[in-house]
Amino acid sequence: MINRRHFLSQAGSGFGALALASMLHRHSAAADSAAMQTLHHPPRIKRVVQLFMAGAASHLDLWDYKPLLEKHHGEASDFGEHVEAFQNGLGPWMKSPFKFAPYGESGKMLSEVVAPLGECVDDIAFVHNMVGRTGVHSQATYLQATGFQRPGFPGMGAWVSYALGSINDNLPTFVVLPDHRGFASNGPKNWSSAFLPASSQGTAVFPQRDDPIEDLLPHAKFATQASDAAGLAMLNRINRRYQSQRPGDSRLEARVRSYELAAAMQLSAPEALDISGEPEHVLKMYGLDRAGAAYPSEINAPEEVEYFGRKCLTARRLLERGVRFVQIWSGNDNGFPRRNWDSHEDIARDHGPLARGMATGTAALIKDLKQRGLLEDTLILWTTEFGRMPSTQAGKGRDHNPYVFTNWLCGGGIKGGVTHGESDQWGYKPLDRDNPTQVYDIHATILHQLGIDHTKLTVRHDGVDRRLTDVHGHVLTDILA
Amino acid sequence: MARPDWNWYLKKRKTGSPVPNRLAAGNNSVGRPFQAVVNGADSLERPFYTREFMIQRIILVVVLASGGLNITDRSAYAEDLFRDRIAPILERRCVSCHNDRQQEGDFSLQTAKSALADGYIEPGDPESSHLLDLITSANGKASMPKDADPLSAEEVGLIRDWIRAGAVWPEGLRLEEAQVNDFDWWSFKPVQRTDVPFSDDPWVRTPIDAFILQRLQDKGLTHATEADRRTLVRRLSFDLIGLPPTPEETQAFVRDPDPQAYERVVDRLLDSKHYGERWARHWLDVVKYADTCGYDKDKLRHNAWPYRDYVIRSFNENKPYARFVQEQIAGDALFPGEPDGILGLGFIAAGPWDFIGHVEVPESKIDGKVARNLDRDDMVSNTLNTFCSVTIQCARCHHHKFDPFTQQNYYGLQSIFAAVDRAERPYDLDPDVEAQRRKLDSQVRDLKAELAALQKEISDSGRPHLTELRTQVTELQKQQQVRKDPAFGYHSAIAKSRDSVKWVEVTLRQPADVSRVVLHACHDEFAGIGGGFGFPVRFKVEVTRDAKDNGKVEWITIADHTQRDFPNPGLMPVEIECPGKQIQRVRVTATQLAERKNDFILALAELELRNSTGHRIDLANDAQVTALDSIEAPVRWQKSNLVDGKWALGGDSALDQHLKELTGELQSLLAKIETPQRVQRRETLTASIAEAETALKALPSGKMVYAAATHFAPQGSFRPTEGKPRPIHVLQRGEVQRPGDEVAPCVLPLSPDADWQLESGLSESQRRAELARWLTRPDHPLVWRSIVNRIWQYHFGQGIVATPNDFGRMGAEPTHPQLLDWLASEFRDGGQSFKALHRLMVTSSVYRQSSDNNEQNAAIDGSNQYLWRMNRRRLEAEEIRDSILSVSGALDPSAGGPGFYLFELEHPQHSPHYEYHKFDPGIPASHRRSIYRFIVRSQPNPWMTTLDCADSSQSTPRRNETLTSLQALSLLNNRFNLVMAERFAQRLQQQTTALEDQVDLAMQLTTQRRPEPEEHREFTDFARQHGLTNLCRFMLNLSEFVYLD
Repeated sequence: MINRRHFLSQAGSGFGALALASMLHRHSAAADSAAMQTLHHPPRIKRVVQLFMAGAASHLDLWDYKPLLEKHHGEASDFGEHVEAFQNGLGPWMKSPFKFAPYGESGKMLSEVVAPLGECVDDIAFVHNMVGRTGVHSQATYLQATGFQRPGFPGMGAWVSYALGSINDNLPTFVVLPDHRGFASNGPKNWSSAFLPASSQGTAVFPQRDDPIEDLLPHAKFATQASDAAGLAMLNRINRRYQSQRPGDSRLEARVRSYELAAAMQLSAPEALDISGEPEHVLKMYGLDRAGAAYPSEINAPEEVEYFGRKCLTARRLLERGVRFVQIWSGNDNGFPRRNWDSHEDIARDHGPLARGMATGTAALIKDLKQRGLLEDTLILWTTEFGRMPSTQAGKGRDHNPYVFTNWLCGGGIKGGVTHGESDQWGYKPLDRDNPTQVYDIHATILHQLGIDHTKLTVRHDGVDRRLTDVHGHVLTDILA
Repeated sequence: MARPDWNWYLKKRKTGSPVPNRLAAGNNSVGRPFQAVVNGADSLERPFYTREFMIQRIILVVVLASGGLNITDRSAYAEDLFRDRIAPILERRCVSCHNDRQQEGDFSLQTAKSALADGYIEPGDPESSHLLDLITSANGKASMPKDADPLSAEEVGLIRDWIRAGAVWPEGLRLEEAQVNDFDWWSFKPVQRTDVPFSDDPWVRTPIDAFILQRLQDKGLTHATEADRRTLVRRLSFDLIGLPPTPEETQAFVRDPDPQAYERVVDRLLDSKHYGERWARHWLDVVKYADTCGYDKDKLRHNAWPYRDYVIRSFNENKPYARFVQEQIAGDALFPGEPDGILGLGFIAAGPWDFIGHVEVPESKIDGKVARNLDRDDMVSNTLNTFCSVTIQCARCHHHKFDPFTQQNYYGLQSIFAAVDRAERPYDLDPDVEAQRRKLDSQVRDLKAELAALQKEISDSGRPHLTELRTQVTELQKQQQVRKDPAFGYHSAIAKSRDSVKWVEVTLRQPADVSRVVLHACHDEFAGIGGGFGFPVRFKVEVTRDAKDNGKVEWITIADHTQRDFPNPGLMPVEIECPGKQIQRVRVTATQLAERKNDFILALAELELRNSTGHRIDLANDAQVTALDSIEAPVRWQKSNLVDGKWALGGDSALDQHLKELTGELQSLLAKIETPQRVQRRETLTASIAEAETALKALPSGKMVYAAATHFAPQGSFRPTEGKPRPIHVLQRGEVQRPGDEVAPCVLPLSPDADWQLESGLSESQRRAELARWLTRPDHPLVWRSIVNRIWQYHFGQGIVATPNDFGRMGAEPTHPQLLDWLASEFRDGGQSFKALHRLMVTSSVYRQSSDNNEQNAAIDGSNQYLWRMNRRRLEAEEIRDSILSVSGALDPSAGGPGFYLFELEHPQHSPHYEYHKFDPGIPASHRRSIYRFIVRSQPNPWMTTLDCADSSQSTPRRNETLTSLQALSLLNNRFNLVMAERFAQRLQQQTTALEDQVDLAMQLTTQRRPEPEEHREFTDFARQHGLTNLCRFMLNLSEFVYLD
């Protein structure tokens, strides 16, 4: 049986030697190489973090302050037009149950539940006029994750991995940190490679599990460090012999290399995921200073802080070691009791703890990346599948609002403290209905910052040159620094 | 097999061209097809400036500028310019949105009248022409065309010139959205059977060899030598049955002196039941088969597997292809009474399905329409991609940009599937039972009609006052301002019949004196019902002093409304006097349920008890609620809500009072018109209906398959069409909110004069039957080529056409067109036998070649598209898993039945969780061939996915073959591999005792050869030091184990 701790202490063994072979060969033909040999233009960033709030986080209760709702709270809502609600969300206007206050030099109004991000608002560009195409969770999640509202398309991280390949062969290129309580709508299809090579798919990492990465280490009594070292060396010899007898087939060489890379990953990954060596002040910043704390069964902020903080700290460690794309999920499938953002019943109950958890971890990640000089070439996107209605559903909750919601971007050549596009006075639709922002524009902007022209990154699949942005997308040049 | 009748096709020919008339006669440039392209949309740009034209234009502009041109010349210039240059630009870039029908921005560019009407174009004055502002780009962006690349500066310049020259629009000229209408493409041409090229080369064994050799010689290539027998038997075994040959099978073939030894192996493998298991997997890749729905929730399909077994059986039975195709599109219509005719329809239902978009969102809402549109899109594309290799889905939002298919064609195909949904339907019905079912069905129908007539008679006799009263009550109920808590109340399980009896009961902890029972109805907007939701139509209320059912419970009925309909109270409380002392239990029994939406329920917000002083008895903490059944969907619906003190309230007391009066009036009127005779008749009818329905239910229902269906049990908003096709409209830009003309069902035009429209009056199943007949026409240019190309690809590693799902202009062209046609006609005319086709291919010399490299040939044809050697391939995910099971001796070869799980299933009621990491791979039930596993669409098996398994959300005509470090980790460390390493070692130890022999056997099992002495030494040393199990684990990682030479 081999455990993670052993791995951290045995870099000099035979196993380590094979890993070393891989590290020395880093610049030879990697198994997971990039599709794009040259970029379309000089890149501003190398890495991307995508924070995805599953269940549809309310723009009105986090980022998009609406004084008019305070004024007309409790009055019958009137949208001035026919509105198709997903459920029965056309009750009275409802102000946010949370207080708003200005932050930073920009004076951006933020909800008290995301107050920790107040220190970061001057690095953030908000997009308050996002529009979706559907109020159905599954389709909307697909749309934001893959650019298509149907299954069968690669996630943004898969496209980026496919195009740019790895920075560090010893770790996966695209890492996903799912909510440990369960997958969001569509599960792993949100980060699948679909028609791109399997090497571009997201690798799910569960920091709290015994096996944070599936199959990283063998769990069997007969598998020991010595057996694995000798076995891999033997396999290497036999497979090389097989390869040498079959010249002219580069796949056989690549397969030998893939075992060397695997050995290297066995060394690198446990180290990358081990946060025990982080100094106390860093752990505290991420809200991870209450080791072993017990939590009540109801949803609560301290617990959410710890869960999300752990993912954010893990993300930082992965990013600084060369993982190119990290996707962090908050919220599981849209069931009960709610551990997701789909607050049909009670905004305060779910959004409160979830937002405090998200904001603490996210603020720590931004500040931590900044102090390490990594925020310059790392772009962070905060997103969700759609927004929520300014009216109630007869209770304290809000129905789906695919007509407007908020995204924000931070770091990596993004202008801070600005807003691109406003929602209307109620937060019901974009203020300028003719010029909304769509997911294609966000995706186009992120690809642009990576040095990729979103119209040129195409893969022919079943007769169509597929793009992440389909036939849409404009780079949001006004938020670029 | 009987050939279908083709006459329908000839009979229905219509006159006129299906392609809309384009520009005026004599103009070739616009009607001309787009050229085949290499780099996508950009290369659609045709050169607008030929040298001649440039010169001509410069001269004209010079002349214009000097003012020397007279008006007539100017006008003629503008007119020509428009016809030759401007019209094509507008048709290509603008008219798809700015046409008379759509009028984006209230602007149409179809005719002179509309285009010149609104000041966008000011003839002679480019500066005032707003159109130019919109299309002129700054920083690479222009307002129009929206969401697309801007027009080039040259194009804008031309339009400017035209406006300056007077914006003359040729009289009567009407622009149409550009479309491809050119069938001059290899795949639309009839299949041409050419003679097999002559060759006296002894290498040529079969016609295939002759065709291939000819091309090799053309290209200066040489074929490879034949592979050795061990390689051949391994290749054949994996290709035909997906499993490695046993050491005995290998030995037998290697030593067989019979000149027909090879052919005998081929026949043995084709006769194996494992053949169908291997080849069905290819088919299921293409059709997107899985055992869950995908999307949100990813619900289980418990009965998808009979379709999977049907495909396996069809291959094993060597079913003729036309029959196989027809069963999958319209088996129920073409082969009534035959199980395969229904099982095959699993094809239409194989792909993903959006549970929320169908069940929770009604078809009347936009999201509901979107879900159903995408659902039909999947059916249409699955059909056309699979059978025709046509990418018809490209014509959903606009005409196909590369192939001659229009939006009308696409939506006409949707119309064929307009009445089917994906649901469970029975497939193996006994004809006698079916006769009885039809009889009972018609009885129920008649009785219900009679009952409806009676109800009408009753309400007619109360007219017009009754109708008026009812309308008033409903209106007032709507006006009530509702205040309610999210905890709505108690909600029974949903019943299909209004006569199901349901009850709900409150048990007090302490007996209490009750003077009044008050019932509060629920409020739910579901189906627009609102107040009074779920309140029983007929019911009684009983109380008892007995706390438990001890056999002699004395129930006292305090209200009996079982004989007559009780008017729905809306949000008005229903108060019932109760002369009860020391009451322990109160029960409400509904004998006629409230209608929800074609189904029936009992729901109550609150059951309130008042004591002798009229005060509420607080039950929230002091009572327990039981019921016959309950949907228990907290927060809204749960039993405990019945006593939580929360119910929906109206806000206006005057209105409430008015409503109360009207309700009372309604009640007394009903009592007057419901005479005892009428009540009696209604009782009898209701009883007869219930009896017939019970008998219907008792009939054996048959086994179920998840397939295309028109009749099925409704679930929420997901309701059967009962065979009535939904109206299908052309959707502008594919958007459901922008329906255009309604379309009739159609097939695809495959030649300029083809008649592709079907009659709009065709019934649901006739539509599919017509499509099935069209798909199996002997003269179909696509279908036969498509299928032989797929089979070829699976044997040789690449298709004769490299894009098996796309034979259009964006696809590849055939490397061996004559061979493709020869194979297509041979297959079509030779009984459409898959097994004969396999035999033809694998007995060829081409197939028997070694996969060794040849530097000279590689320099000419590096990708081996001319097959100068055999392609080496990595085994597919299923082959690797099945081989591991097979060599370990763990493989359970049993066939068919529900899929086995490779995960722990949690929370199946709401959103199922498929927990792969919690599964124990030692469970023997999971040691069956991979085709029988339960395939989860949204959460596919990670181990299989890492090995490039097909993604069941999309058609996979060809697997990717990648090599990643995660693959290495999977094969080294996955618990399945570790458990199988143990099984493998046990097997070796059982079969032989000496370690040397065990190593020898392990090598034979994994690679079909004996180890070299050096390898043998190395393996044995390793096993001595680290154990045989560890050796087995690493042997399953050999490149030689996972590659096929």
